[in-house]
Amino acid sequence: LRKCLISMDMRHLEKSFQEMKRALQNKDTFQNVTILSTLETLQSTKPTDVCCMTNNLLAFYVDRVFKDHQELDPQILRKVSSIANSFLYIQKTLQECQVQSRCHCSQEATNATRIIHDNYNQLEIRSAAIKSLGELDIFLAWIDKNHQKTSGA
Amino acid sequence: VPCVSGGLPKPMNITFVSINMKNVLQWAPPEGLQGVEVTYTVQYFIYGQKKWLSKSKCKNINRTYCDLSAETSDYEHQYYAKVKAVWGTNCSKWVETGRFYPFLETQIGPPEVSLTTGEKSISIVLTAPEKWKRNPEDSSVSMQQIYSNLKYNVSMYNTKSKRMWSQCITNHTLVLSWLEPNTLYCISVESFVPGPPRLTRPSQKQCVSTLEDQTSGLKVK
Amino acid sequence: DTAAFLPAPQNLSVHSTNMKHLLTWSPVILPGETVYYFVEYQGEYESLYMSHIWIPSSWCSPTEGPECDVTDDITATVPYNLRVSATLGSQSSAWSTLKHPFNRNSTILTPPRMEVTKDGFHLVIEVEDLGPQFEFLVAYWRREPGAKEHIKEVRSGGSPVLLETMQPGVTYCVRAQTRVKAIRRYSAFSQVECVEVQGESLPL
Repeated sequence: LRKCLISMDMRHLEKSFQEMKRALQNKDTFQNVTILSTLETLQSTKPTDVCCMTNNLLAFYVDRVFKDHQELDPQILRKVSSIANSFLYIQKTLQECQVQSRCHCSQEATNATRIIHDNYNQLEIRSAAIKSLGELDIFLAWIDKNHQKTSGA
Repeated sequence: VPCVSGGLPKPMNITFVSINMKNVLQWAPPEGLQGVEVTYTVQYFIYGQKKWLSKSKCKNINRTYCDLSAETSDYEHQYYAKVKAVWGTNCSKWVETGRFYPFLETQIGPPEVSLTTGEKSISIVLTAPEKWKRNPEDSSVSMQQIYSNLKYNVSMYNTKSKRMWSQCITNHTLVLSWLEPNTLYCISVESFVPGPPRLTRPSQKQCVSTLEDQTSGLKVK
Repeated sequence: DTAAFLPAPQNLSVHSTNMKHLLTWSPVILPGETVYYFVEYQGEYESLYMSHIWIPSSWCSPTEGPECDVTDDITATVPYNLRVSATLGSQSSAWSTLKHPFNRNSTILTPPRMEVTKDGFHLVIEVEDLGPQFEFLVAYWRREPGAKEHIKEVRSGGSPVLLETMQPGVTYCVRAQTRVKAIRRYSAFSQVECVEVQGESLPL
């Protein structure tokens, strides 16, 4: 049973990212370092951990990445703001699950979250923020994959 | 003997062209070197790993493409690739792709479409597009196994009424019944996956005619 | 510099229908002068975590106003602050801020316009294209006692979609409503439209 499915229009989020992907990823000069994608565990998240991992990754972006990133280009600023505010909305949606305690965190999920923060801490703060923003497609694809309704319609 | 880097202009328009996870690096020759026997060397990089890797089959090649499907077959990772032009002891600087994410960027090809006509019906059977495979004898993997929410948009054109309509389905068979007998219908099918915007590629249009009307009882007004 | 005589725009308000959001205000009138306006916005994220950040609107920085389509700026279902400043040459007025933050989940959703037709024995619907955020729930049934209502999801408007294969001599009725997942809301249903395909069917 998938718990706490997010029913939201991901298309706009993915479009916002696609429109700034090249600009963000070009600023990320550390190709040999990654924050999200070393995690085989992210790719094989158990259904029961989906809600917790979603919450933890949203908090990672809302509480750290978007704050640490300083953007001067208004075009990019608008896209990042759009995603940041959308993540805020998803957090509120998930809070309804948390209230009904269907958002349990296993040890694996907790470890995976800690690895993400450790990866982030190893980089200088602006570089870490830029890299995490450039990896938003990994997180959005993960949300898409793990929050589809099990019905095919 | 290492070549003098920067002595040649760089190749242009480097990009990955990806369909059903067949990931081919393509580029255009450098400007101003028409008629010059230039060769190219390609390298690729797995995002998050340590160093650039070479592909022996794409070292000093004349063509302007290199199939990196095997090297980028883990579609949940991201990759870079780069190419440089070489002529004698001179070579260009490297030119690099953006970060390539096969899972999000591959184009999903159309299904195979087979049609069977009846007097007032057309049966459509779809075969899901297949993921690229290393060897022809390898077992096939359907793109549906990668994208569980893969759907099909069936477009139908009635050449007599000049009307077009479509239908979105998730399974692989569709029977269009109560069609007009002895009428040419043209059908095209497109695969799509809800999610990030992707290029789509409809199947070749196929036109078939429903059979002659065996009874004359049914007339449409 | 803030001009003493250049008043800030007043009466800011947002009119939103079908996810199109229009900010309007009372114009600043200076005879013989063209006053321009700058519109800026701040989502809940900015107001919570970086309240000093205001983002220039996509289409109205500047604009001759006195209105601004902020649809491309209001892109999440959270409250947004909006503000407007008038400018004349190098002088700008104070900022005037929308009294209550605007949330797009308050948009008015109207029933969709649709065209129900038949192609031979096929019941076909084309719903108006309202943009990528809109999906449609189409209900159709046979007009006869005890008939069951069928529901079909239509992912986007603007192209004809097959609903059903009709039986001759039976009337089929259709109504539709819009659905916007991003704000988790539906419109009212449209008017009902019915079609029938004549044709006496002899025993086959």
